[in-house]
Amino acid sequence: MKIKYWIIAILAVGIGVWAAVYLFPSEERKVKKQFHLLSECVSKDSGENTFTMANKTLNLRSLFAEKFELKAEIESMSGSYSPEEISSYVTHGRSMFSYLSLSFYDLGISFPERGLAKVTLTARLKGRSTTGENFDETHELECILKKIEKKWLFSHAEIVEVLKK
Amino acid sequence: MILNKRIRQFFFPRLTPKFLIRVLLVALCAYLFFGYICIPLRIKGYSMEPTYHNGSYNFLWKLHYIISEPKRQDVVAVRFAGNRVMLLKRVVALENETVEFRIGKLFVDGKEMEESYVRYPCNWNLPPRQVEKDCVYVVGDNRNMPIENHHFGQASMKRIVGVPLW
Repeated sequence: MKIKYWIIAILAVGIGVWAAVYLFPSEERKVKKQFHLLSECVSKDSGENTFTMANKTLNLRSLFAEKFELKAEIESMSGSYSPEEISSYVTHGRSMFSYLSLSFYDLGISFPERGLAKVTLTARLKGRSTTGENFDETHELECILKKIEKKWLFSHAEIVEVLKK
Repeated sequence: MILNKRIRQFFFPRLTPKFLIRVLLVALCAYLFFGYICIPLRIKGYSMEPTYHNGSYNFLWKLHYIISEPKRQDVVAVRFAGNRVMLLKRVVALENETVEFRIGKLFVDGKEMEESYVRYPCNWNLPPRQVEKDCVYVVGDNRNMPIENHHFGQASMKRIVGVPLW
């Protein structure tokens, strides 16, 4: 009998903790959610319709700060971009793929100062071009998100060189 | 009759406190062992062919370099931001050594290296470069592709997280 009560108590506490985490997300969860949204906006299923594409383009713009800086190994990619420019580049890039998947792993989030989140993560971009070629790239990224009007927005990203040729 | 009872007890044990504690301990040990010490991994990609095949399974043994350092010809896992995605590569040169490729042949400190694990033809050319301090130079076994398409180079020792179990 006692064990039954213990199991019920553990379950009740578990459900309570889960509800608290879900209903009152921490800043860390809010930052993670932005990465989840970015992944959804960039990823593309084969046979994606125009409405979904337009919706994703609009959502993508809302994830970036007015000035987003990218630092990459390839000099031509580095620079400062507006949300409109990012959305246009991503839309152009997506049109070259029949299938595209952007996944993020091992997110390490820290808050060096108020309103600023520093995230280290592994990003994997996988896809198949419209000509049938497969594409699979993995990179480590260091991102900075700023809290602007209660929303965490991407403001800086740097590609970390893991293997130096 | 006794055997039947024993079998039934084995598959449907009574939920006594002792049994629940045992289950929790086994689950905790398994979580720690397979989550932090011997991590199951699936190999994706062709960069280590024919030593490791695309789609095969293995375990990453993380205790290997606790008391020793990576040696030449060791196959190591190089981490990105964490343990979820890693690169499987072979150490070809150690710190302060000079690495070079001449028509597909590997030269370390000017000496041609015997590489029995490289089975496919290779025509890479790479000017000499010195491996920095606290770094190792890693390359995949499959060099049957243009040099630009192969992910290789110098990796910090901090990124070497272990070796495949077999």
